Amino acid sequence: MKPRLQSLSLSVLGGVVGILFFLPLLWVLTNSLRPGSETFAHLTLSWRTFFELKPTLHNYSALLSSDVGRATLNSILVSAATVVIGLAVCASAAFGLAAFEYRGRGLVFGIVVLSFLVPFDAIAIPLSTMFRDWQLTNTFTGLVLPGIGNGMAIFLLRQFFLGIPAELVEAGRLDGLGWFGVFRWIYLPLSRPALIGAGLMLFLFQWQSYVWPLLIGTDAKHILGPVALSNLQGQNFADYGLVFAGAVVLTVIPLMVIAGFQRYFVQSVASSGLK
Amino acid sequence: MRKRGQGLIALAFLAPALLCLAVLRIVPAISAVVESFYAESLLRGGRVFAGLGNYTDLVSNKDFRQAVGVTLLFTVLVNPIQVVVSFLLAVLFTQRAMGSKLWRTLVILPIATPPAVSAVIWSVIYRPDGLANGVLERLGLPVQPFLTSSGQVLPSLIVLLSWIGVGYWMLFLIAGIQEVPVEVREAALLDGASAWRRMVSVILPLVRRPLAFVLVADTVSNLLVFAPVQILTKGGPNGNSNLLMYDVYTRAYAIGDIHVAQAEVVILVALTLAIVAGQFRLLRGDQ
Amino acid sequence: MKRLLPAAVVAVAALVAGCDGGSSDSGAPAATDNGPQTGTVTFTGTDNAETYQPVIKAFEAENPGIKVAYTQIPFDQFNATMQQRLSAKDSGIDVYTVDEPRVSQLAAKGFLTDLSDLDDQVKTKFSVAAYKTNHFRDKLWSLPMWNSTQFLFYNKTALAKAKVTPPTADPQQRWTWEQVETAGRKAMQSGGTKYGLFMEQPEAYYQLQPLAESLGGGSGIEGDDALTPAVETDGWKKAMQWYGATFASGLSPRGIGGFQTGPVFANGQVAFFVGGPWDLKIFGSSKIDWGVAPLPYFEGGKPVTPTGSWSLGINPASKQQGMARRFLEFATLDPTGNLATSSTTTIIPANLEAQKQYTPKMDAFSGAKTAGAAAITAYESEHTAVSRPVSVGYIQFEEVMGKAFADIRNGTNPDTRLQEATRQLTDAWRSIK
Repeated sequence: MKPRLQSLSLSVLGGVVGILFFLPLLWVLTNSLRPGSETFAHLTLSWRTFFELKPTLHNYSALLSSDVGRATLNSILVSAATVVIGLAVCASAAFGLAAFEYRGRGLVFGIVVLSFLVPFDAIAIPLSTMFRDWQLTNTFTGLVLPGIGNGMAIFLLRQFFLGIPAELVEAGRLDGLGWFGVFRWIYLPLSRPALIGAGLMLFLFQWQSYVWPLLIGTDAKHILGPVALSNLQGQNFADYGLVFAGAVVLTVIPLMVIAGFQRYFVQSVASSGLK
Repeated sequence: MRKRGQGLIALAFLAPALLCLAVLRIVPAISAVVESFYAESLLRGGRVFAGLGNYTDLVSNKDFRQAVGVTLLFTVLVNPIQVVVSFLLAVLFTQRAMGSKLWRTLVILPIATPPAVSAVIWSVIYRPDGLANGVLERLGLPVQPFLTSSGQVLPSLIVLLSWIGVGYWMLFLIAGIQEVPVEVREAALLDGASAWRRMVSVILPLVRRPLAFVLVADTVSNLLVFAPVQILTKGGPNGNSNLLMYDVYTRAYAIGDIHVAQAEVVILVALTLAIVAGQFRLLRGDQ
Repeated sequence: MKRLLPAAVVAVAALVAGCDGGSSDSGAPAATDNGPQTGTVTFTGTDNAETYQPVIKAFEAENPGIKVAYTQIPFDQFNATMQQRLSAKDSGIDVYTVDEPRVSQLAAKGFLTDLSDLDDQVKTKFSVAAYKTNHFRDKLWSLPMWNSTQFLFYNKTALAKAKVTPPTADPQQRWTWEQVETAGRKAMQSGGTKYGLFMEQPEAYYQLQPLAESLGGGSGIEGDDALTPAVETDGWKKAMQWYGATFASGLSPRGIGGFQTGPVFANGQVAFFVGGPWDLKIFGSSKIDWGVAPLPYFEGGKPVTPTGSWSLGINPASKQQGMARRFLEFATLDPTGNLATSSTTTIIPANLEAQKQYTPKMDAFSGAKTAGAAAITAYESEHTAVSRPVSVGYIQFEEVMGKAFADIRNGTNPDTRLQEATRQLTDAWRSIK
């Protein structure tokens, strides 16, 4: 009885917190189902602020004639490529930092940390000049490349890799595993939650990429989501019904990614039986 | 002997990432540092060597000194709040309770919202006739000026940034907590009013490494905040939300004085480095 | 996230513009290679692609073999992106839109092709204000495309309820700000509105310059090099005291900005609203009844209205100067082309001949509500329009003043804040000098 009561009160608490976080987004969702002229008409707090009895899909159909569709597909492509390549690069680097003892390890770690202390927006200008010299403007390669080496993701994975006991590695080595085998069959399977976290980090970097694609001169064929979303606003006027519909589209994809990976957070522990 | 061999193997694993970081981060960063020693004169035309001129200009500028102060105050406030809240949420959402996965997805979701749209949402919440004051009025409390008041602007931004960020940081802590065996967690939660406290005291030491990551990464992210400032407050009222990165952003992008902006970035990175080094030392001492 | 506009208006000799192909043998000395005669011209701007579809179509029909590809860059990143790409000598940009107050700075940095050989044509085809703003150091750098002005919009229903006779559209019977304030307060008391007066861009220099100029306060910039701050004149101080007080007293709302200002009027929450020509159509979908009147002035002062908008310029790094020139001339000097640039957006064409054809239509943008808009527009551009100052330091000026206006709006003492602005401007301009 008691644990059940406790579990119930915990889920009520969790529900309240979750709904509080969601309310602002519900406002966006609701207004994407209303004409733009009504966006700011229901600010006086009432149920109408968050619900619409006569929803219309007009904003969503208007999106079809904009660049948002193509931009979303491009963003998916660029983000997916970044996550796959980036995870391989970052995870192996983290392995190099966590699994071995050698002189200069601190120095390498220092470089990794330093690389994410430098704000990307600050180096974007000189970096875009370099990309122009390399003929990478207006290419998908030019869009993917800056997202691959992510110091923060390396740092995250290293923290988790450090927690993997040396005995496991020893045992693996005795079983005849090479270093790559240790990485592939011991470290990676035991770090799924961390890999998902790092993947999400790499994903979001590209999914919200805004200043960079503009600096390297992307044309309509290579346009990304956030740029297309911003382009929905004019100079003198923004139809927020339309903008919010675009925002909903651009939020749904990460939502599916996050929700889809939820179960692995639990599975990892169950399957590892570690510690 | 064996160590040397290990170093080479480690290097092989590290090579692709180090190459990326060097070419895509460190090299442009060096060029940025070089630019910070130059100046551009529109009337004289062209780029001239300025030595430490950009730095001395900055340091003698009252608005810049205020921005440093505001940034430090912001850092001291926002990071402990976010780390503690993320941790508590992580503990809450790793309990066996109905709907846990759904609720925690909702908490993570704001990080996926396009930043320009988050800013519109919060401008509506903080408007004088907006949603926050609507709630206060319902509760019979006096309405507040939020972003238009020198005193409330920073706390208001902290709430907004926490809405965006805590779910994200919680995610990494959940990943850490899941590493703690279920029996340990459940044993801690068996009964009594002090269950939460025991929970925290059992879990805390076990998630020290992910926690260190979150603390450092969160601190760095918060030192680089500028989008909400740019859209909502433009650094005001009276410079009270003029965070350094926003100041850099206006200099580099709005005003186009790239050289002084780069000097300011160098100072910002030095500041970040000092804070992060302090945190690493603190964490090590803790062990 | 804001808008900037400037100005132009005058007489015209239509015809030819598109035909003489622009291979200038007169002025520009270095123009030896004008690039290919056919191909694709890239045109970069910050408006939606639909805005430029009509002008591009018309141009392509008249110039077989030349295509125009338009690229949109979001407004909040436009200046920054262009700055970077132009300084990297990116030849992927041929023609681009230029915000008029930025002409000096772009020209000083070498980001614009000298168009001085077109000087005579520009002199006759555009207003004096537009002619001047597109010049820097006695050379012509860009051609005016659009113009703007500001109107006083009023909520008819609210004023009737408050028993206030609304202002008329006649520029000779222009209201004073004092009248607007009194009427606005009445509307708040008995007209059912929450606020009395609100401006579309409450923290923008474009919007507030006329307040100070109306009181003889000047533009805020003086000196031979136009790099000396002059924002502590009596006119500026008085204007800002009045402006700050409108917020302190609740006549105008604090904390609402961006694109959320227009909806305050459209939703019937304010009696008077100051906005641009684009609002003539935007407010058409509003449920309230409204009308337009000329922009007010201060009692004892003179009527002054803002003006100006976007021009078009050519990137010196473009390898297709000839074709770029053709498109540029078609979209500005040719009345048909210029008119086509304003057929989907509600913005005033800068070419005087185009303007003559365009303005009369403004009266019917939102049925009877917009009656009188045409006459106001014509009158203002001839008598009251004052451009933003021409200065290489304009960008810093706009940034510093924008923050000062925001602080004054939020209750900071106007006199000390203007003093602070003087210091900030002196600091910012020292490096340019």
